[in-house]
Amino acid sequence: MEKDVEIITITLNGVEVSGHPGMTILDLAHESGVDIPTLCYDPLLRSIGACRLCVVEEEHSGALLASCVTPIASGMMISANSPRVRERRRMMLELMLASHPDSCLVCDKGNRCELRRIASDMGIGAVELERIPQPAIIQEINPFIERDLSKCILCAKCIRACQELVVNGALDYFGRGFATKPATLGNLPLENSECTFCGTCIALCPTGALREKDTPYRGTTSQVVHTTCPFCGCGCNICLEVKDDQLIRARPGKEGINQGTLCVRGAYGLDFVNSPERLTIPLTRVEGSLEEASWDKAIDIAALGFKHIKEKYGPQALAVLGSPRCTNEENYLLSRFARGVLGTNNVDNGSSLYNSATRIGLGQSLGFLNSTNPLSDLEHAETILLIGADPSSSAPLVEYAVKRAVKQKGARLILVDPRQTELSSFSHLWLRPRVGTDVALINGIAKSIIDEGLLDEEYVSRRTDNFEELSKSLEGYTLDFVERTTGVLAQSIHQAAWLFAQAKEAAIVYGSGITQVSGSSGVMSLANLAMLTGNTGAQGGGIYPLQKENNTQGACDMGSLPDFLPGYQSVEDAKSRRQFEECWGISLPTSRGLTALEMMEEARSGRIKGMYIVGENPALTFPRPDLIREALSSLTILVVQDMFLTETGELATAILPAASFAEKEGTFTNFEGRVNKVQRALNPQGESLPDGEIILKLASRMGFLLPYLSPKEIMEEVCELVPWYGEDLGLEESRKSSTWGSIHQKRLLKGFPRFCPVEYTPKFEAGDGYPFVLIVGTTLYQFGSGSRSSRSSRLAKFSPEPFLEVSDPDARELGIVLGDGVKVMSRVGETTARARIVDTLPPGMLFMPLSSPQNYVNALFDVSLDPQTKTPALKACRVRVERIL
Amino acid sequence: MQGEGRKNLMMSEQRIITRNDQEQVRKTIADLQDQSWPLIPILEKVQEEWGYIPPEFIPTIAQALGLFPSQVQGVISFYAQLYTEPRGRKVVRVCRGTACHVRGGKTILKLVKRHLDIEEGQTTPDLEYTLETVACIGVCALAPNIVIGGKTYGHMNPKKVEQLLGHTKGGG
Ligand code: SF4
Ligand code: SF4
Ligand code: SF4
Ligand code: FES
Ligand code: FES
Repeated sequence: MEKDVEIITITLNGVEVSGHPGMTILDLAHESGVDIPTLCYDPLLRSIGACRLCVVEEEHSGALLASCVTPIASGMMISANSPRVRERRRMMLELMLASHPDSCLVCDKGNRCELRRIASDMGIGAVELERIPQPAIIQEINPFIERDLSKCILCAKCIRACQELVVNGALDYFGRGFATKPATLGNLPLENSECTFCGTCIALCPTGALREKDTPYRGTTSQVVHTTCPFCGCGCNICLEVKDDQLIRARPGKEGINQGTLCVRGAYGLDFVNSPERLTIPLTRVEGSLEEASWDKAIDIAALGFKHIKEKYGPQALAVLGSPRCTNEENYLLSRFARGVLGTNNVDNGSSLYNSATRIGLGQSLGFLNSTNPLSDLEHAETILLIGADPSSSAPLVEYAVKRAVKQKGARLILVDPRQTELSSFSHLWLRPRVGTDVALINGIAKSIIDEGLLDEEYVSRRTDNFEELSKSLEGYTLDFVERTTGVLAQSIHQAAWLFAQAKEAAIVYGSGITQVSGSSGVMSLANLAMLTGNTGAQGGGIYPLQKENNTQGACDMGSLPDFLPGYQSVEDAKSRRQFEECWGISLPTSRGLTALEMMEEARSGRIKGMYIVGENPALTFPRPDLIREALSSLTILVVQDMFLTETGELATAILPAASFAEKEGTFTNFEGRVNKVQRALNPQGESLPDGEIILKLASRMGFLLPYLSPKEIMEEVCELVPWYGEDLGLEESRKSSTWGSIHQKRLLKGFPRFCPVEYTPKFEAGDGYPFVLIVGTTLYQFGSGSRSSRSSRLAKFSPEPFLEVSDPDARELGIVLGDGVKVMSRVGETTARARIVDTLPPGMLFMPLSSPQNYVNALFDVSLDPQTKTPALKACRVRVERIL
Repeated sequence: MQGEGRKNLMMSEQRIITRNDQEQVRKTIADLQDQSWPLIPILEKVQEEWGYIPPEFIPTIAQALGLFPSQVQGVISFYAQLYTEPRGRKVVRVCRGTACHVRGGKTILKLVKRHLDIEEGQTTPDLEYTLETVACIGVCALAPNIVIGGKTYGHMNPKKVEQLLGHTKGGG
């Protein structure tokens, strides 16, 4: 829509400048390089004109205007620096300082205090006004945030940040007049409020009123490095503040996916990098125990060990396990190392345990391999279907986006989750199907859409394949059948169909509740729903598969997979191979390799003899850890590369100490497909080295000099060989939504989106002796196997000991009360926890957090694999519970 | 665990709010919800029905109106005539205007506090009295003044305080 846009011209400090209608005086001043001090304004927040520091004078009328809330109007004559303006600003500042305590010198906010900076810019020192006594620091026990509201200038940035950006609403003004302060509900400490310690408000608070508690290291920042959070698949942009090679704090970046927000893990959980438990020297096994060794010796043992096995048993006796926590460059190197140096396609990464369902499901139906849209598009959806995911703990950025869509844009949320979660209160329709019946439910909704004529006929007939088959396959999924199977009322299914299909744009967000319970069938059934309604990628529509780890997407993109070279080019396809053979100057193995779990099985049966595990801890995080340990112990050589001495490392022949994310360069790819920079802020601890450098050392000791001088050179090669990475090299600057479409287009495989009929197969049917279905999930204050989050001093303080949530009726039946020790037993294993009685679960269902280093719940899961994705179910299983006396 | 802490603190004051009470408030909300700024009318109505706004109702009201509980609390705290604590049957207002102040109002306040055994803004556990202070009530000639249950008493002295409120002493 090219239209003649109206231009408004004003005079600003004697110069004519023009802007668009709707711009404020402050916007235009920023654009024209005129400096106006502000305290309550932030481009991320709605402006409220509270502090009046941004006053300017309109010279015709002599009016003093708050420039951050006054729109420009033709002919205005603005002075941003007249004597009256200066006088007024000085007055406002003096008023603020009058009620401000004199503790600037010891205030932790230091140079980041905007009040102090502006005051000194204006030459205001000690204030003559009579001091107004103020309340002191609020006593709170949380280790993250300290509030000293005597320093509060009532700019309401924290309140707006909490309401508008992260939509938690933990704070609002409390009281009147002088006594007004931002407070929580009931004026309670933050830990008893809705606050999730995301750190967003602290970063925006212009004074020392909100500040970080228990900082790992004190000092004045000497360097700020922009990098990417190493925890979840959201991939937040963070600024690391550094001094003396120590991490002082992390602040949210204002670019990227997160736009000034973070979650508690990114904000306060990164001090694991300075943990005293870091491995700083290589270790090798000498007579049964691990002893310190030189790099040369450790690399020798590893390289010669692999060489020996390769020569004696062939390359198929070796296997490599990479990690979704390593960078793209490292995963690419690892893929090349396995294929080119060892000569085997036995390479996989830990995320294949849960991610294959998306790749296969979306790949076969839509031709997409990941999220079809950037997260920012989600806020344009009219309806959001959220299923099998609790983003409040697994992907907080997605939670914020969903809440913003609902609260600020009026989107309607269909929540499918048997458990009550944070988002339940935001939902318009909340369906609670029995665990494992999602496919039946989605098929039921799909059938309802077809039967009621709600489908997007034009899209279905012109742009998709295989509709007839789908339609036939759904015949059995009558409302009646689906109600009986899922326990969801027919009326609600019907309502979901309408809500979803009638929306102009409807988006689907799913997580491991789909991929790890229903597998690729679940994903395909969701893809069918999107196709039926023409929601396969337009802004506001689309499918968002959440990824667990920071670089799940990238590790797979880079070919840390047994069947794909980088860029999902099949190892069995000669043409794909040739491209890499030419580039790497070697010939490549031609048949698909073993998946992570197959490797373990083959190791147990003795066919795999040597393994190289980089950044993974299968001895704890894979199902049946007992069997995995057995497998790993039977290897001739096990080389483990990690930051910490993990359960897997305990079994190793050699351990190579790896650098943390803060100590290396490279890129992570988030769940949206956004390629984010990782930049070095610290030097590697002790003798540890970035994973990439270690892989190069190992390759060279095995006689292969891989020609890369830096991660950047690796990325350049990736860009040539993996088509869609090429466009991402400019990184965040180029990540405007406008370029997104084309990047994704290229990833569309040949042909039309194709309906893939899928059948519901009963899961977790009542088994004798195991009456409960246990669900496991992430908690906000822990992450993954906990190897990093448990070594973050503040997260560790705040994360609970292992607990089991039990519904009230079940607890009564079992004779369990709050705090009781309980033993949870499945057919294959058992674990213990403390009981919590909750009203968020339907009877018959239990919940446990996935990670707690003391007690990993995976012991309960069997290695039985989903036939299509070859991945185990790691989300739910049948158990029984006993009280420990 | 966290949730429980919150609940206990909020309920420490008075009555236990039951499910039925919540239902009743939902009805009040539903009756008043269809207007452009329903929050204040709802709060006033709740206060009228309950004598104060039990904090347990804040999340219920917030949920119904699509607000955050902290926002509802913010509004309540902004208006002097809305309370989240039960009020006594009689409000005792001690004047702290200038005239009363110079004629010993401060001592009167101290005595009243001692008799009622509560601080400013609090209510006696038997819900008989709520103690407040006010700026000048316009009868400076009689200073120091107090108002009990709408009736003004002038020329206060320790003995008169004793007469008016003595029976409550220790009766907490
Ligand atoms: S830390 Fe986050 S959730 Fe807590 S008050 Fe601040 S913005 Fe709100
Ligand atoms: S605490 Fe900080 S951000 Fe919040 S109102 Fe006060 S000064 Fe502003
Ligand atoms: S853990 Fe995820 S949501 Fe939290 S800061 Fe890191 S990337 Fe962002
Ligand atoms: S910055 Fe404009 S009023 Fe605060
Ligand atoms: S000062 Fe107390 S009545 Fe005027």
